[in-house]
Amino acid sequence: RSCILVSIGGKNIMLDCGMHMGYNDDRRFPDFSYITQNGRLTDFLDCVIISHFHLDHCGALPFMSEMVGYDGPIYMTHPTKAICPILLEDFRKITVDKKGETNFFTSQMIKDCMKKVVPLNLHQTVQVDDELEIKAYYAGHVLGAAMVHIKVGSESVVYTGDYNMTPDRHLGAAWIDKCRPDILISESTYATTIRDSKRCRERDFLKKVHESIERGGKVLIPVFALGRAQELCILLETFWERMNLKAPIYFSTGLTEKANHYYKLFITWTNQKIRKTFVQRNMFEFKHIKAFDRSYADNPGPMVVFATPGMLHAGQSLQIFKKWAGNEKNMVIMPGYCVQGTIGHKILNGQRKLEMEGRSTLDVKLQVEYMSFSAHADAKGIMQLIRMAEPRNMLLVHGEAVKMEFLKGKIEQEFSIDCYMPANGETVTVTTNPSVPVDISLNLLKREMALGGPLPDPKKPRTMHGTLIMKENSLKLVSSEQALKELGLNEHQLRFTCRVQLQDPHSDTDTLHRIYTHLKSVLKGYTIQHLPDGTVMVESIVIKVSSSTEDPNTKVLLLSWSYQKVNKEATSSKILQQGTDSSPNHYLRKCL
Amino acid sequence: RTDMEETEFDDILDDWFIESLKTYKDLHVYQLEHPTQVIEWTSGKTVCVAGFTSSKNEILELRLPLKLFADENKGLCAERDFKVVHGGFTDAPVRFSNCLNLQVWDLGGDDSDVIRRTGSVDGSRGVSEGGSRIAARLSSQPQVLHGAESAGVRLTQLTSGQTVYTLETDSADPLSSLHFVSDAVFLAGCSNGKVYIADTRTSAAPQLSPPPPSSGESVLWWTDASAGPSCLDPSSCRIVRLSSCGQTVISDLRNPGGAVSRAQLDVQTRRCNADDVRVSWAPALDDCIAVSGFSGAVQIYSSSVWTTELQEAQPLFEHRGHAVSSQSDDGVPVFVTSHVWHPERPRTLLSAASDGSVHVWDWVDQSAAGC
Repeated sequence: RSCILVSIGGKNIMLDCGMHMGYNDDRRFPDFSYITQNGRLTDFLDCVIISHFHLDHCGALPFMSEMVGYDGPIYMTHPTKAICPILLEDFRKITVDKKGETNFFTSQMIKDCMKKVVPLNLHQTVQVDDELEIKAYYAGHVLGAAMVHIKVGSESVVYTGDYNMTPDRHLGAAWIDKCRPDILISESTYATTIRDSKRCRERDFLKKVHESIERGGKVLIPVFALGRAQELCILLETFWERMNLKAPIYFSTGLTEKANHYYKLFITWTNQKIRKTFVQRNMFEFKHIKAFDRSYADNPGPMVVFATPGMLHAGQSLQIFKKWAGNEKNMVIMPGYCVQGTIGHKILNGQRKLEMEGRSTLDVKLQVEYMSFSAHADAKGIMQLIRMAEPRNMLLVHGEAVKMEFLKGKIEQEFSIDCYMPANGETVTVTTNPSVPVDISLNLLKREMALGGPLPDPKKPRTMHGTLIMKENSLKLVSSEQALKELGLNEHQLRFTCRVQLQDPHSDTDTLHRIYTHLKSVLKGYTIQHLPDGTVMVESIVIKVSSSTEDPNTKVLLLSWSYQKVNKEATSSKILQQGTDSSPNHYLRKCL
Repeated sequence: RTDMEETEFDDILDDWFIESLKTYKDLHVYQLEHPTQVIEWTSGKTVCVAGFTSSKNEILELRLPLKLFADENKGLCAERDFKVVHGGFTDAPVRFSNCLNLQVWDLGGDDSDVIRRTGSVDGSRGVSEGGSRIAARLSSQPQVLHGAESAGVRLTQLTSGQTVYTLETDSADPLSSLHFVSDAVFLAGCSNGKVYIADTRTSAAPQLSPPPPSSGESVLWWTDASAGPSCLDPSSCRIVRLSSCGQTVISDLRNPGGAVSRAQLDVQTRRCNADDVRVSWAPALDDCIAVSGFSGAVQIYSSSVWTTELQEAQPLFEHRGHAVSSQSDDGVPVFVTSHVWHPERPRTLLSAASDGSVHVWDWVDQSAAGC
């Protein structure tokens, strides 16, 4: 089952809320205690996002929202919103009515859950709140399936749900722009496979149907109203036309109307070819495929029938199955997964004797064929998606870690990004390097440019100095002067002074002059001035001489410099050191 | 590609697929990220493939689709995909029978799916442009036979790196293949058509089967020997030699100089890459030979109807899947880079082509007399 919790920028998001179809007890539900030990989830989640209508992605949604408790928004695409409740209700019926389970959601709960749904359009940014925004992308796979981009501030995550990268007869391929999310979360159930081509699967289907028809048998294909049914119909129609076959093909009533209705609603979710065809004619007006009437099931001779529901658990498809099961010339083709407890599930597990209502047994003599048409991304597909989105980190879910070292290595090598493969219950922490956008004042830039030197580039950045001001929600880099001005502060000046005592009987002026001459001779290359105001300046260091009040022979040298930059300070002390040796007294005394 | 061209392509492909309903029992079509020149069996259900570009290449161990082997319960098995059981990387092009430095790889066990390089065997002595050929021998101590020319073929023990046997011939002829016909006897097929037959247990000089007549200077030859280690009687082993102009000669080990039968095959030589040509005996069918590398098809011939007179032969079956389904935009036609027979299933083959496609197919023998 798919159910992923993401914490990003202080927001908590639940991605999918699926049911595990292999368990009968509470293990089939996700473990919500990871969110909170007791009570409702509303305060702990900012939103829930559902990728598509398959039960392993949305099967536990009503349980979560109505039985555990969640009142916040649930996001999904329009087709998903339309189809989900139908599948959930079907599923509920099988679980409660057929299997007699009690800890399960009710029809009313499904309705209440769907009231919390906020539908999404493709490529439309939706603000969940001030800081959290989401956007849906086309995922292929099934009608309405979406990949979702989640953004908080400058951090983002993309969750793929199930997707495929090769278009099929009625759906396009997944697509996303170069959004460069911090993490790309991808399903990896098929990551270690290389998929057989679509045409070969179709070939197998046609071969089986043809073989049965040729020997006079009847073929039952149980389908859900949407998706595979249309594809297989289009396929058979083309084949019948080409081979000039005469056996009748039927489509059970209700299927056509429902399908037409949904396709009209969601035409933008199908692929180009379908859209073109749909414009020209009604999608389900086939030359060789006609509406079914229950009395036809008893007609002699070969025929093909598409009937609902898809798992043979009730209704018309089950009725037909009961009639045809006893003849080994007949065939039933199951085009997808069947939930435990259904007849579909039993016969796919090889059961040849079924217990029906009223204690009667049914001998299954007809041929049972299991075909998988579902479109998933394999290893190549995952690589293609990474190339499209350019994530900074990769996260693969629902694969076997031991069996995916190679793919992990491949991803890390080709894209130089980290690849994580957490197990159920494991938490992965990914450190992101978000870019913080900062405005820079034009004056500051101009000043930096005036300093000359090479222009900065990404490989050789150049350090610059400024003051960062945070005002409202923006960040601005300005010069210190401008910052002070904006803040209404005065700049302070720091001056350091140092007093050196010497024994020198000469006059102040003389001593000063001797110091001047001495320094001039030893400190070549530095600017040394003897100023009329009675000071000597070495660069920016000021030297004054005065006599001690107690003893006229003791002279006090005052050295003073201002703090400008760290560099300058270093230069100052260097100059002093050079000029006066380690002991100023010693040296100066020496020259005097 | 215009819409028209796209539709035309689809139509041709659809036609071929519909035809295939009658001509194939099983058919699987895969697309690798990069083309391979090697398909080597690592078990009855797994093969190794690898890229051959000059930079980084992938080595993959693939498990064949379960549906292929689910004989009784085929209907209940929906698994049609290759499973990548192990994968690894190498810096050199991989053509298991053409590499300057033999690299030894360890296919990880159950606790990892990564293939790691565990060592190498120095095969670079006096190597020609073409590189070395190899043949592996699974005795109690794994050994590999390798060499680039007839003089200098060595049998090396993988664990110790020791040379166990060296082939000595009068001339140094470039090799096109090496084959074990039994535990100790091997064939060295040369590109000039000569075949040396040697026994690793003796130091006696190898037997030489001269090249078939009427082979010109620029003609290249490829060889295959029937029956592997299970062939207890070497005399029942056959050698098939195929030339670059399609001449095929079959001889047997009892009389390596003579010819049991011949045929002229239509190989449509456009440009053929010597590295891609393969000729192979079917391991589980009598007298069947598969030929590939000259075009985008794999041809299967039944040599039982051939005579000692050189006559044109028609293929019993032609797998054109790669040519038909190839979508090469640059106008370069696709050609098959490798093929192998399944060791036990009589009519199952795997083939790979220059566009990265890999097909698994089980053909239907529609002729009365045939394999």
